[in-house]
Amino acid sequence: MTEEEQAQITQLQVQQSYLTQAMKAALESRWVGEDSVEAWLLAIDPSLQGELQPNPPAYP
Amino acid sequence: MAPADTIAQLQQQQSLLTQALRAMLEGNWCGAPPSVQAFVDALNPALHPTCVPPYRQSDEDAPPEPPPEHYFDPNAEQISQIYNWTCSACSLEWLLRAYDASYGSDIYSNRESCTYDIGYPSNINPTYGLMDGSGAQLRRVFEERTGASTAQGWLTFDQAWSIARAGNGGMCSGGAWYHWCGIRGTDGDTIWISNSAPGYQSVWNNLSRLDWSRLGPFSCVWVLP
Repeated sequence: MTEEEQAQITQLQVQQSYLTQAMKAALESRWVGEDSVEAWLLAIDPSLQGELQPNPPAYP
Repeated sequence: MAPADTIAQLQQQQSLLTQALRAMLEGNWCGAPPSVQAFVDALNPALHPTCVPPYRQSDEDAPPEPPPEHYFDPNAEQISQIYNWTCSACSLEWLLRAYDASYGSDIYSNRESCTYDIGYPSNINPTYGLMDGSGAQLRRVFEERTGASTAQGWLTFDQAWSIARAGNGGMCSGGAWYHWCGIRGTDGDTIWISNSAPGYQSVWNNLSRLDWSRLGPFSCVWVLP
């Protein structure tokens, strides 16, 4: 495996951990703010800054 | 698979997961892209999820849905026809009644009115029944009495089933069946019909894919939403 491939796998592992955190946040109904789905999405893809338009589930 | 290919595939899947998460955050759960359902389909086409969207914050502010302009009752009663050439008039009268746009309370009298509105004897008569098998005259009368719009097509079973599933009602006629019936909706994998000649050619309240094949080709008239 090349160094570049190793670097790509490391990046995928980091992204996967962020996705897992985002899933946990969704499950716990934190859609915006600290430790939220929105925050973890921005960590995965910083280019989404200012692009997201949250419309989360409403809870009774 | 070479490591580079595996990595590329994982990157693509990661991207789809990220987009699915964004769709969740933005409240796009079901339907065409960019929805969660579409991204899950892209990740694994074999999953076929049944999409049940949550109630969203935007739904709280949304105005209530207006009542439909034309209300359709798929359970409207159908009774057997007396004359063997009047199936099209019986089907049309049933559809009008299902839209609360028939003539009066007596179904037999309504059918007679319907026959004259279709155009007796030039458009419908005891020799041939309905003269134009596409249903153009049925559409005309229905649209005149309800103000609703209709469409017509020679459809495959899957097309007709999908339209019936939409729940606006209609009518259809099979060329080899030589019979018109009303379309109530769907019942499992069959089309649920209103049949004024129950049992004719072994068809009662449902048209199956097999019926469609043996009794077609089918011309369908359906009511647009």
